[in-house]
Amino acid sequence: MADHEDDLADAYFERLEEVEYPAADEEPGIRVRREEGFAIRLVRGGRTWLAARDQIAATEFGEALRQVARAQPSAPYPEPTLDRAPFPLLEDTSRLARFPTLVTRAIRRQLAAFPMRLRVRRHRRWIRVIGTQLAPEPQSESFYSCDADLPWGRFGVLTPDLSAATVEGLATSLTTLFRAQEAPRVEPTTCRVVLGPHAAAVLLHEVVAHALETDTLMLGGRVESALGLQLGGPLLNVLDDPTNAPESVRRSSDDEGMIAARRWLLREGVVEQPLADLFSARHSKALTPGAARRGNRHRSPAPRSTHLELLPDESSMDDLFAEADGGLYFPEVSSGRLDPLSGRFTISLPYGKRIKAGSLGELLGPCRLRGTVSGLLSGIDAVGRDLESAGAGWCAKNGLKLPVWASSPAIRIGAAEVES
Amino acid sequence: MTSESLARSVVDSLVGRGLNDVEVFLKSGRSRRFEIGPQGRVASSSQEEGWAVRAGSDRASLFVAGTGRPALDGPWPDPDGLPLRLPPAARVPPWRPPADLEAPLSGETEAIRLLEAIEKGVSSELAGTRLLRGLLDEGSSQTSILSSRGIEETYRSRAASLFVEMAGPWPGAQTVGIAMARRELRSFHAPTIARRFVDRLLLQGEGESPERDRGEFLLGPALGVRLLVALLPLTVGGGSGAMVRALRDRQGRIGSELLTVADDGRYRGGVLEAPVDGEGRPTGESVVIGSGRFHQSLVGWKEATRSDLVASGCVRRASWRDLPKVGPSHLFLAPNPEVKVATLLTAVARGYYLIDTQGNGHFDLEQDRFQLPVCGFALRQGRAAAPLAGAWLTGSISSWLRGIQGVARDLEFEPWSGMIGSPTTLVTGLELRRSP
Repeated sequence: MADHEDDLADAYFERLEEVEYPAADEEPGIRVRREEGFAIRLVRGGRTWLAARDQIAATEFGEALRQVARAQPSAPYPEPTLDRAPFPLLEDTSRLARFPTLVTRAIRRQLAAFPMRLRVRRHRRWIRVIGTQLAPEPQSESFYSCDADLPWGRFGVLTPDLSAATVEGLATSLTTLFRAQEAPRVEPTTCRVVLGPHAAAVLLHEVVAHALETDTLMLGGRVESALGLQLGGPLLNVLDDPTNAPESVRRSSDDEGMIAARRWLLREGVVEQPLADLFSARHSKALTPGAARRGNRHRSPAPRSTHLELLPDESSMDDLFAEADGGLYFPEVSSGRLDPLSGRFTISLPYGKRIKAGSLGELLGPCRLRGTVSGLLSGIDAVGRDLESAGAGWCAKNGLKLPVWASSPAIRIGAAEVES
Repeated sequence: MTSESLARSVVDSLVGRGLNDVEVFLKSGRSRRFEIGPQGRVASSSQEEGWAVRAGSDRASLFVAGTGRPALDGPWPDPDGLPLRLPPAARVPPWRPPADLEAPLSGETEAIRLLEAIEKGVSSELAGTRLLRGLLDEGSSQTSILSSRGIEETYRSRAASLFVEMAGPWPGAQTVGIAMARRELRSFHAPTIARRFVDRLLLQGEGESPERDRGEFLLGPALGVRLLVALLPLTVGGGSGAMVRALRDRQGRIGSELLTVADDGRYRGGVLEAPVDGEGRPTGESVVIGSGRFHQSLVGWKEATRSDLVASGCVRRASWRDLPKVGPSHLFLAPNPEVKVATLLTAVARGYYLIDTQGNGHFDLEQDRFQLPVCGFALRQGRAAAPLAGAWLTGSISSWLRGIQGVARDLEFEPWSGMIGSPTTLVTGLELRRSP
């Protein structure tokens, strides 16, 4: 199939499993989704052909090969012998089933109670990529997602485990959201803002990771022109490192089978290595592949972040608050959006707190943070010292729903535009 | 073994395990996808095959879905949670499958030619405009639903969708995107789509907003659709009683006499046209609002049995992976076949012709208010007087519903959660503002 010198061809096999326990008043009960399939891809110059099937079988594989090679049905593409292991057995789900009860109890311990529908899911994914040049080890991921439907909106988290700390963390977030409903709204203002590790990680995902994906950069022209650009201050050291993600989602290769490595997106605020896949790296020698992700077998890969890291600096939380008197503190983000062309972004914040005399004051209701990528990044004037695993969530750029992970300390922004 | 006989065997097998209510849903199809964008030109073809089983007893239930075909021996997890009752079979009125089901899916050359024609059409009027992303999807499928309560239905479908994103040639231009759906890719008309882009891009570049203004508003189909989408909490599901009561006037109306909103799962030529819904119940037209009076929201079989509402045959599945859920199929504001858009346009002495939205806006049904970013033209004596952009159409949702003074015949559907459609409407009682 790959009969031109620069052809790229690969076969991508995947298995997905999702086990869900719905809210107590929803039917049916346990929900299990298990799927498998493959995709064959041929990239030639600026063109890609992809054929996908919803089962892993030799006949379908041969058909897909013929389709991608655009050969006549009579062309001799022998069916391969596929050594297909059985789908792994459904693991014990008792911890998953108990989780909503544990969260409800933890909320009660925080002296709160409110109507809530909590759904919890375990996601498992197994993939294998076989290319023309190398065949890396199979990869697997396992993590959990929780969604809470509340009278005032929806709140969701991703987590690598269902530990006691996860239970407490989710209960605290939900309880604070509940209490924030009665809290006063923020008057539109421009002020100093401290973002907790979770909020900082989501913000950096929107304004650094998305902005430095090669498919985003290509919209603005040549990708290489971004290299060496001073995007933020010297405190900003941002990396994408799938090999350092939480253990159950750690990756040694990406969804194109390329080695996943520690990638400096920003070194002291300067763009060093954008997130690239094989397609973009073939068009520019300055780019390194290894950051490709696939939403599923039916879609071609695209460059995305997997595990974003902001390296810590020296400031304690007290230091960050001390120089933000009259400012605002936001620990969580509910959603974010970046316009790739204008560089303008919007981040929705479910609640916040006022900073008074170096400590946290009254609780505030939902608001939004707006600005431009360059304005925001150049405005970061302090980075905390305490690194936390934070900011995990679903990323849905271009309709590809992917789990993303991060670790980050808190950050302080000198002047941020906040609106209610 | 055929799909139907396999499904029957799965039902029998699970009933034998003590699960009284069992339903097997099978879907298979082919789709093609063409994309022009930063990743070059991508042509994909997929053959998809999936299934889902809902089963339950008086004590617990389960849902299992997977690719390929279901196996008689599962593996099935132990049922859990609530009991499950599935709908009984109902007589399905005759349905004539659309003729285009047999038409082949479009090829790569045809699809790329369409995207290029849109780009060329825009560039010829607005040099320097860039196509950022063009995406075409087309597919056909067959669905079978079989249950232990006597449902046994099979039908075929086809759909095509288009999404194009472009940017104007001036610095700081924001992206403009258009999403459409039709039954066939061949139904997309490149010059019409290019014209819509040119209008949107030109307005973005040249339009201005008044600080604050009122008048008559001619709302193009895109605005009507967006407002109908905001009304979904009122039109879908049985929990809209309080909202309806708050909107009713002394005569018991929630809108103008010209306002009729209906949903029709058999809408002829519609993208989601089908004889039965996602649970195998017959589809048909359901009037939600008739001549300004609220009739009833769209409800499924289960909700209807618990109330005095009528089941609407409006339970949909986003895919074989998803559970059936009440939702619109073709929800639309009924057009008036006698009225041309030009007739409404020339009737506007002073006002605005709002042709499109420029963002999502904010809608608050409880507080009865909305703000929607819009673009269009200022109108004087039925003629365009100045381009308008960066403006916010604001007001109360009840004012919009009651303020409909005219309805044209140009019904257009857009893909949202189901297909939502509206013709051009003439509305009073709203306001334009420079900021929300």
